[in-house]
Amino acid sequence: MIKRELYEEVVFQTIRKGATVLSDDVKEAFEAAIAREESAGAKEGLIKTLKSIELSVEKDNPACPDTGWPVFYFKIGNECELEGGLMALEDATRNAVRRATKLGYLRKTMKHPITGYDPGDNVGMNIPDFTYQFVPGNSIEITYVAKGGGSECFGGTRHRVLAFADGMTGIKKHIIECYVASTRAGAVCPPSVLGIGIGGTANVAANLAKKAACLRTVGSSHPEPMFRELEEDLYKALNSLGIGIMGSGGTTSVLGVNVEYAYTHIAGICVATSTNCMVARRASTRINADSTVEIMKSPNWFEGR
Amino acid sequence: MATYYLQAPLKEEDVTQLKLGDLVYISGMAFTCRSRLHRYIFDEGNTMPEVTKDENVLIHVGPIMVKEEDKWRLVSFMPTSSIRFEKWGAKSVDQWNLRAIIGKTTMGPETAAMMKERKCVHLTPQGVTPNLWVDSIEIMGVDNFDELGSIEATWQMKLDKLGPFKVDIDTEGNNLFDQLDATIEANKLKAFEDLGIPEGFEYTKLY
Repeated sequence: MIKRELYEEVVFQTIRKGATVLSDDVKEAFEAAIAREESAGAKEGLIKTLKSIELSVEKDNPACPDTGWPVFYFKIGNECELEGGLMALEDATRNAVRRATKLGYLRKTMKHPITGYDPGDNVGMNIPDFTYQFVPGNSIEITYVAKGGGSECFGGTRHRVLAFADGMTGIKKHIIECYVASTRAGAVCPPSVLGIGIGGTANVAANLAKKAACLRTVGSSHPEPMFRELEEDLYKALNSLGIGIMGSGGTTSVLGVNVEYAYTHIAGICVATSTNCMVARRASTRINADSTVEIMKSPNWFEGR
Repeated sequence: MATYYLQAPLKEEDVTQLKLGDLVYISGMAFTCRSRLHRYIFDEGNTMPEVTKDENVLIHVGPIMVKEEDKWRLVSFMPTSSIRFEKWGAKSVDQWNLRAIIGKTTMGPETAAMMKERKCVHLTPQGVTPNLWVDSIEIMGVDNFDELGSIEATWQMKLDKLGPFKVDIDTEGNNLFDQLDATIEANKLKAFEDLGIPEGFEYTKLY
């Protein structure tokens, strides 16, 4: 039995790490972008952003003040025993969000959608957001994602239903058009990690796109050749657009392109996009049945898909 | 492309000399604002804090602030997107006598027209660098904290060479991003070709 005291602390530490320490794959993507960026101004912007990210570890400060929507992904072993069960896990997570907000690891960002009322602790109706995946085993893997406002609010997340007749051509065109529109003047904080969901109902496609943007390791590839090729083609095409860091021009316009798909009703193919901020923040921790805790390098969400 | 170090409050000639793409660092007093302050003032008829009357640099930002022993500590600072305040932009330039707005993205045509009339610029960040900035900002006070909450309140910030920010709207109302749009549009057509999307391809109309 994993004690509540332990998993509440682990959720808090996962939030703290997610907000302040950028994962290795994102840092490597920055380093690669700096090496190949051709615009001097854009290169300077990338170097300074990476420097700021490195300083956030030293200062124990958020890598960006817009800590966005608090989003949690739990990968739970079928035999995993949590003290108090899953309802207690959600309750403990809300507490951890409150504590992280009080200490300044999260900004007081979540408000009532109409009145603007600020609870001051990032906890309210349907927030934080929880997603579950059940797998064999007895451990629990906890992933926290800070989904920044810029990346969500300016058309980084959108969908279109295409006719089967429009196929891959329509999919590619839609993605390029979406990305150009959402990066104008740096709205979604490009170079983004672009997630794409193809197929399923609109919400399935949108969820896949978000998970592809936030949970896939930057630089990873889809295991199926058709989708790996689509990722590579789009990565090349998007980086040829000249959008650059903060939309100010440059040769680095995306940090990565990740595609996930679902089978669909062939009447219409839904294609959804979701951008993640260049300061792409997430952290993952595993608690084993014997209560040992392991820091994970990646959420491993799509492992075994 | 030139680099300028300007002292707030800004004089008219400080901003009329700026050209699109120039880089600017600002020192001196500035105040902050997001959605709720705009609404509070322009839609709900409240008045701006007295202290802002002598200031003409506005920052669109919602900082992370923590109170430690009765003193505010700025934890994190990154300008937020200005474009979503477009509805109130022209009014803010006009009624608050602004010479510069610092914010992510840009402003729309109505605000740009008022910037031309009142001689004001928009300045946009070149990266996401909150931890390079926090030590260049001193918190001097806050208004509307109880009414609007921590991130929407009107913070008084004393800046010490805060920057660089790029001039994206000049005092003639020109917008740097309008110019970049043309380049990106041309690159987009080339990308379509590279991806094998035929010229004139149209989506089947489903809805």
